[in-house]
Amino acid sequence: MAKQVTKNKLQWALISGGSKGIGYGIALALARRNYNLVLVARNEDDLNNAKTKLESIYSVQIEILPFDLGQEESAVKIGAWCTEKDLPLKILCNVTGLGGSADYLSAPLTDSLQMLRLNTEPAVSLVFHLLPLLKKNQPAYILNVSSMAGFAPITVKNIYSATKSAVIFFSYSLRYQLKKDHISVSCLCPGPVFTKPSVEKETIEKLGWFGKKMAVSPEELGEIAVNKTLKKAMIIVPGFLAKTVSVILRTLPKKWIAYIYYKLASTPS
Amino acid sequence: MKRLPLFLVIVLSVFSASSQSELTKELAFNRQASLSVNSLPGSSDILHSSTLHINHHSDYALVAGGSKGIGYAIAEALARRGYNLILIARHMDSLISAKDKLECDYGIHVEILAYDLSQTEAATDIAKWCMERNIPLKMLCNVAGFGGSKDYLSLPLDSLRYMINLNVGSAMALTLTLLPLLEKNAPSFILNVGSMAGFAPIPVKNLYSATKSAVVFFSYSLSYQLKDKNISVSVLCPGPVFTKPEIIEDTKKKLGWFGSLMAVPPEKVGEIAVRETLDHKLVIVPGTVSKITAFLIRILPRQMIVNIYGKAGDKK
Repeated sequence: MAKQVTKNKLQWALISGGSKGIGYGIALALARRNYNLVLVARNEDDLNNAKTKLESIYSVQIEILPFDLGQEESAVKIGAWCTEKDLPLKILCNVTGLGGSADYLSAPLTDSLQMLRLNTEPAVSLVFHLLPLLKKNQPAYILNVSSMAGFAPITVKNIYSATKSAVIFFSYSLRYQLKKDHISVSCLCPGPVFTKPSVEKETIEKLGWFGKKMAVSPEELGEIAVNKTLKKAMIIVPGFLAKTVSVILRTLPKKWIAYIYYKLASTPS
Repeated sequence: MKRLPLFLVIVLSVFSASSQSELTKELAFNRQASLSVNSLPGSSDILHSSTLHINHHSDYALVAGGSKGIGYAIAEALARRGYNLILIARHMDSLISAKDKLECDYGIHVEILAYDLSQTEAATDIAKWCMERNIPLKMLCNVAGFGGSKDYLSLPLDSLRYMINLNVGSAMALTLTLLPLLEKNAPSFILNVGSMAGFAPIPVKNLYSATKSAVVFFSYSLSYQLKDKNISVSVLCPGPVFTKPEIIEDTKKKLGWFGSLMAVPPEKVGEIAVRETLDHKLVIVPGTVSKITAFLIRILPRQMIVNIYGKAGDKK
């Protein structure tokens, strides 16, 4: 009935924001487990690079879809593309998001509004449009990428932190909503991840050796994320130190944590 | 101790009766209506009513979503304290009737502006309007919000985008664009309206709950960011509020006498919100029963709360 794209009998995973950083780390971990991949990102060159690299290491099939998930129609088109091919989709990973050190008071309003949208809407609409396919291929998995910043408010990363909290809330509720459909929802909440030299520099500047100890590489992170998602964990915090810190962040009153974050950021380093 | 989960089921299920449920039905119509108003040429002349009598000697408060419900109650509590008001809402009709009542009862001056705050340019326009008139703005209340008993997986995506833009985006935008004016009139106040749904995820109100958690986070961060500028930030997190007959009926049907005991009338919510905002309180939860519940929601494991909420939601 549907157009057949699948060249092998493997199952599929779709990763939004899968060409670089955490998304690519997750892609590697899935390819290692013999999943064919649909990678979605804005930049076609990055997508092609990722495809070439992944196909050279693993014998899985990689499809690339260059879409800007900030556009409302992108999720509709991605959903249609997958449905039309009747893709045996098992896993949806929502990694796309915006971060950065300029936040709210120091950034133009349009940037903050853009961050609000890009960190919430792509996940909300991709799940919405791919849900029929995931239900069909159940048991299936959804992995949303949030952050430890979603556990307690970080003053200097005001909007980032607020949107990441929204992603955590969305994941909790969604997990409950989809339980009866045998779709497991997980939420990845990493501490610092050294995806670029600039992140590494900033973390070491702000948190010193502690930040360095807590940080993980995108490859490690992807491996842990995929492993735990397939084991149906709800909140995934990679690394022992990050886990410990996250327990503290989640137990102590938010006001205290916000104050500590605020003090940490305002001490000159 | 055995009764604790049962108690929580009862208490938490109250929150599935939304204070904003009426909005769901009106949404499509309202968006259309406000779009057509905004698209009129020279619409700003029509949208703004009286603009001539700014009283520069007494303080102003701006209430976004101030024509009805919790917003109106906050407006009234401010009027009682002698604040002049700028009310923002989508419909001119309800704005005019709010203005008439408040001016008549409290002898204050009320300005009204009709805007759909989910539109990106609304905040910029409103801020420009305020700056041009050099309004002595002492307080900004971000009350405009959208929610209901239907949420993710039963609402169209457009409504969900509208919810994100209105519940979070409008507060971010109004705060940032009005900040210069608030700074000039410091000490000043910002009151954001979150919800108890922002303390832990409610599956049947998935995105509503998520957006309200973002508002709570935003308020915490903002309160520290603006401390040096002498601007105090508060976030109101009420449980159920009987703003409409349907909500009273719905809550009573589900919970009987307990529902009535639990709910706080809007007038009381408005009064408490304004009083505690002026007292520089960060998180405001009106009502003793709600306060106890809020405390439990915030200390118990989240997964447990979600399951309790989820079961309460499934019951209807």
